[in-house]
Amino acid sequence: MSTIAVDTTLLRDAALGAVATVDDPEIPGVSIVDLGLLETVTATADGKVAIGLIPTFSGCPALAMIAADVEAAVAALPEVEEATVEWLRSPVWTIERVTEDARRTMATDLTLAVRVDSGPTPCPRCGSPTEEKSEFGPSRCRAIHRCGSCLEVIEVMRDR
Amino acid sequence: MTSMTPGTAEFLLAFADDEHLMGQQHTEWIGIAPFLEEDMAFASIAQDELSHAALLYAIVADNGQGSPPDDRAIDTLAFDRSAADYRSAQIVEVACTGWAHALVRHWLYDTAEELRWSLVDGSSLEPLKDAAAHAAREERFHVRHADGLIDVLAHTPDSADRLADAVNALLPLATGLFEPVAGEAEAIEAGVTSAPFDTMLPEWTNRVRARFPEIDIEAIAAPAYASRTRRHGDFAALMSRMNEVRGIDPTAVW
Repeated sequence: MSTIAVDTTLLRDAALGAVATVDDPEIPGVSIVDLGLLETVTATADGKVAIGLIPTFSGCPALAMIAADVEAAVAALPEVEEATVEWLRSPVWTIERVTEDARRTMATDLTLAVRVDSGPTPCPRCGSPTEEKSEFGPSRCRAIHRCGSCLEVIEVMRDR
Repeated sequence: MTSMTPGTAEFLLAFADDEHLMGQQHTEWIGIAPFLEEDMAFASIAQDELSHAALLYAIVADNGQGSPPDDRAIDTLAFDRSAADYRSAQIVEVACTGWAHALVRHWLYDTAEELRWSLVDGSSLEPLKDAAAHAAREERFHVRHADGLIDVLAHTPDSADRLADAVNALLPLATGLFEPVAGEAEAIEAGVTSAPFDTMLPEWTNRVRARFPEIDIEAIAAPAYASRTRRHGDFAALMSRMNEVRGIDPTAVW
């Protein structure tokens, strides 16, 4: 262990960068930070980093995998002595936490839309209104819609 | 944070056991539901119920201190107690081998659960209050899902008959959900829950009546309470199925 105290602001920034390299296991190319799962990062002068995450849904089966990926990414930083990850009980995740960047990547690369509250969710391919076909998609946080114009069947990320 | 009393623990275990067994029962429809979307729906809903159970067991396991959940301790409470120590209602223990029965149970159960979680959304027990915020969002669409299917099926004579049979068979057991465990009074006194669950029974009955207007629900007699301390005849087989894989290696980490 280094005897020189670590600059906690720099360490925190480095840890934040490391967390941002972790993609959601079911949404390749989209960081969990851009999905809004990161809530807290704290760093101490002796190189201990604690990450607080929130789940999209409490029963998401990917939680253990995400926590392990985040821990490994942060622990790999040379100045980190210890990395811990905790799933926080609050706040409750909402769809508004998904960044514009993530929305663009999801639409362009994965034909994955994000649910909108007012009016129909636009098709990620052609922008036309979509219609919900099933509230239940391949995972708890996805519904199935179909575009009324290009007829593409799309998955829509949702928070309830 | 003060530690919880044995009564509060019993109250939470009854809640957790209901969510756990309901979730386990729903998983049995994955792959054999009548159509693909139902496979997905039952899988998603089961996932929610099991996660709610895990949140509740975690609170009991660490005595309400709110530390990060210990999966091993949760499993011990969920799987390793003797049958007599479970506090589940018989509606979540009974085997529903027909899909109409499974659907009606899903509706009856989730209509009750929505009311039940609302009683603890201002709980003095912080982790329970936080769990209620998640559950309230997740339970809401369970009822919507069951309603959507019943809306469609109720207009087809054969389906309507099957639904009516299911209501007749399951309603008496479903009222058992509202049966208090001995610890409920302590839980109320400690502010863990705001009122006895059976104060919600009239509201639930109103919703059942509105959902199944052709069925004379008053004519279906509910059995006397004391069901939470007695296991249904189907419980042992359910428990054995639930432990089939786990029994191969109880120390495995999932």
